[in-house]
Amino acid sequence: MTALLLAGLLLPACQQEPPPPPQNSYGATERAFVELAIATDEQALKLVELDDNPALIENRKTELAELRKLLDAPYVNHHAGHDMPGMPTDAEIQLASTSPDALKQFVHAHLTESLDVLRSAGAAITHPPTAEVVDLMERHRAAELAAG
Amino acid sequence: MRKPALPIASVIVLMAAALSVPGAAQGEPVRVAEFVADCGLSHRLADDPIVLPNLAGASHFHDFFGNHSTNARSTQQSLEGQTGNCNPAADISSYWVPTMYRNNTAIAPTGITFYYLGEGVNNPAAIQPTPYGLKIVAGNAKATGDADSIARWSCLHAGHVNPSKNFVECPAGTMLETYLDFPQCWDGRNLDSADHKSHMTYPVAGGCPSSHPVSVPKLRMVLRYPVNGSTAGLRLSSGTGQTMHGDFFNVWPRAEMERRVRNCLNVVLKCDHAGNHG
Repeated sequence: MTALLLAGLLLPACQQEPPPPPQNSYGATERAFVELAIATDEQALKLVELDDNPALIENRKTELAELRKLLDAPYVNHHAGHDMPGMPTDAEIQLASTSPDALKQFVHAHLTESLDVLRSAGAAITHPPTAEVVDLMERHRAAELAAG
Repeated sequence: MRKPALPIASVIVLMAAALSVPGAAQGEPVRVAEFVADCGLSHRLADDPIVLPNLAGASHFHDFFGNHSTNARSTQQSLEGQTGNCNPAADISSYWVPTMYRNNTAIAPTGITFYYLGEGVNNPAAIQPTPYGLKIVAGNAKATGDADSIARWSCLHAGHVNPSKNFVECPAGTMLETYLDFPQCWDGRNLDSADHKSHMTYPVAGGCPSSHPVSVPKLRMVLRYPVNGSTAGLRLSSGTGQTMHGDFFNVWPRAEMERRVRNCLNVVLKCDHAGNHG
């Protein structure tokens, strides 16, 4: 109890935000982006495989490999089942498997929405290797949208 | 993904209706360790400053309460000195939850109350003020069923409807409500952690464990939604009702928090919005 009270008295001096990571390091923003991008691309891969579009499938697989290289801890999917921008849901993938129109619409939504997320990430990420993957993913989507 | 034609309901600041908790101004003080903040919906964004820091537009949609400035880039420094929509106005903390939808129409809660309680620990006199800048996430956004969920859904004014971890069908004239208790034992060192959870835990048998020895106020969020009848089409941006979760970023001015902990929780008295007891 004494220790607890002492701890209480000392608390104000101990309350610190984690120190900001040095510039250009793999920090909280980079970690959050990589985990989100893996979750998004894993779902997107299931969608584009329905489309039998070799370029889209290859690009998502390349991105997933590059993203996984950036992880500094075992990957945990924090976004499973969520309605995230650019991330096809299981229900959407199911619908796309039976409707070519839905498939086309969901692939387009995946590309445009994830491009918005990538532009946001590009403005926030300072870690050069992560920024390179963001650039790669932006280039992929720009080309995929241009190809219609 | 967002539906391309998703009609996002216009965000209207809805100040919560005055709480119907009877005041303790007359007679004996109420021996319940409690102070309270009633807030309104401030804004809605696809941002999450704790889970997806600095990544604007990268999250599922959240309803933000309290501090008007909260967005993906929020920090303790950016939030302080801003205004919010809570009663008391001194509470400029940020609170957020996944947005509720009926089909693709967003539904805003109309009753948004944050109780700060002294319950859950046997020694309320040892409760310390919530550390300034503390971030807490409660609930399981990844819940896949009842077993891994702590959500609680019930009906206001319909106590005969059994609470559930998923949405419940509330009778006409009643409202769907949800309760969420935040962990109240702090590790004494970290205002956040990599998984945003491990710096906090729940008490065990009325005490905080040695790994998280500092007892702080128990935050209980109570939301009321203008929803009754069938639960068909109801969802959260994180999934089923079982995925209900809440985020809290504490920027109560230190003196206001300290005074309430001392005057309300440590001495086990029910306080009003101003932090005074009868």
